[in-house]
Amino acid sequence: MRCRPTLTRVDALRTGELPREEHRAVEEHLKTCKSCEDSVDDVGSLAQAVKGLRIEPPRSIRETLRTTDFFDRVEDVWVAFADRSIRMISGHSLDDLRDRYAKRYGRSLERATVPEPLRKQVIDALHGAGVDKPAIDFTEASELERSVAEALLSIPRGEVRSYSWLARQVGKPKAVRAVANYVARNVLPFVVPCHRVVPAGGGVGKYGYGPKMKRDLLKREGVDVDQLDALAREGIRFIGSRTTKIFCCPTCRDARRIREENRVPFHDADEAAGKGFRPCRRCQPAAA
Amino acid sequence: MKNSWTGGEAARALEPHEENLAVAVHRHDPGAFERLIERFEAPLYSYAHGILQNAFDAQEVVQDAMMRAHRALTRQYDEARCSALALRPWLFRTVRNLCLNKRRGKRHQLEQPLSEFDDGRIGPFVRLEGSDLERKQEVELLRRAIALLPVDARELIMLRFMEEMSYGEIVKTIGGSEASLRGKVFRSLKLLREALEKKGVAYAV
Repeated sequence: MRCRPTLTRVDALRTGELPREEHRAVEEHLKTCKSCEDSVDDVGSLAQAVKGLRIEPPRSIRETLRTTDFFDRVEDVWVAFADRSIRMISGHSLDDLRDRYAKRYGRSLERATVPEPLRKQVIDALHGAGVDKPAIDFTEASELERSVAEALLSIPRGEVRSYSWLARQVGKPKAVRAVANYVARNVLPFVVPCHRVVPAGGGVGKYGYGPKMKRDLLKREGVDVDQLDALAREGIRFIGSRTTKIFCCPTCRDARRIREENRVPFHDADEAAGKGFRPCRRCQPAAA
Repeated sequence: MKNSWTGGEAARALEPHEENLAVAVHRHDPGAFERLIERFEAPLYSYAHGILQNAFDAQEVVQDAMMRAHRALTRQYDEARCSALALRPWLFRTVRNLCLNKRRGKRHQLEQPLSEFDDGRIGPFVRLEGSDLERKQEVELLRRAIALLPVDARELIMLRFMEEMSYGEIVKTIGGSEASLRGKVFRSLKLLREALEKKGVAYAV
């Protein structure tokens, strides 16, 4: 081997990365060539000098990159939280929470104690006490997801609404199923009350944690679920008041205080409008 | 037989087993990603700084790369892919691509590529006085000499001598063949030596 091919291999020789025959050929040449032999040491000392040049970033990346959020168990559910807000709740399992959290936020979870105000909100939600101002964060959610959550939060405790009502509230009156899918994917069940949406046709409908759980939750919140079923069986969707000529969703707090003798049942909004009733402004049973 | 290494021990020292870290991050093991940052932030930052010669840009690139890495490992790659991943070359490749994106459209393009520096001359390296370089100002001189090199020479010197990657790993990071890489590393070293001579670093023949 001659000088140039030898020199290009000196560095690989140093770390033993040459194929066997080349290794031998280079060593042969080095024995006969003083200047090339010197180069072996040169490369070594340059390598040594460069090695010391490593520098640290001015700020640790870890300070600027929050890589984990936290989880804790609250009663029977797993709660993910970060930055003083509840980020996700799972009634299934910790693995379920971790998986979905990683998919949504790209961060992992570590165990920590959930701050007391957040714990209280979750407990209140589970016990049907309602949460006034939930500490939640929808900054990373899509616009539709955010408006669905806002509409859900606008349903008062002790009341229920239909999926079509919800679709209308978020400005997509025809996309009932799409909106219902968002409800089903609610990342904050209990706190964002997806359980307060029920099918117009009666019953409490499906629920991620089983219909019984949904029924129990609604009962705890003060919804008369049995009466809801009875109305649905007769096809009654709205209740009007003979005295005010206003009609409401059956669980609207204004509907519940109509006296028995003044209650007028309606099967749909057109029937109510035809008899000169206007929709309640609070529960907005139909488009204005 | 091309890749059959003769010096097993030295070669192995150049390629530590990091694959498990990728799997750990994929599985959301507690603290796994923090360990990955701990292990790689200084090397990646040094490399990015070597290419970009700018602290702010380098910091930004490494942050971006870490976020991309986390996303890929936890959301895009399945476990098999994570365990098969050569983590170090992969991370350096990510940083490299981001660095090159950053340089695109900037005046850096005026720098001469390494190939134009090759005058075809061969010559032995001269011995560098190691003890001199250990002194602080000499380290600074070395740093400045490297900054004068064309970008491809800079990055090779970083990967090979600062990061101590094997030729195999460098190929995985920037592509090419080991044979062409050996020539490039040699030319980069030659340039570095010339730059050091210009800076007046002491040599002894």
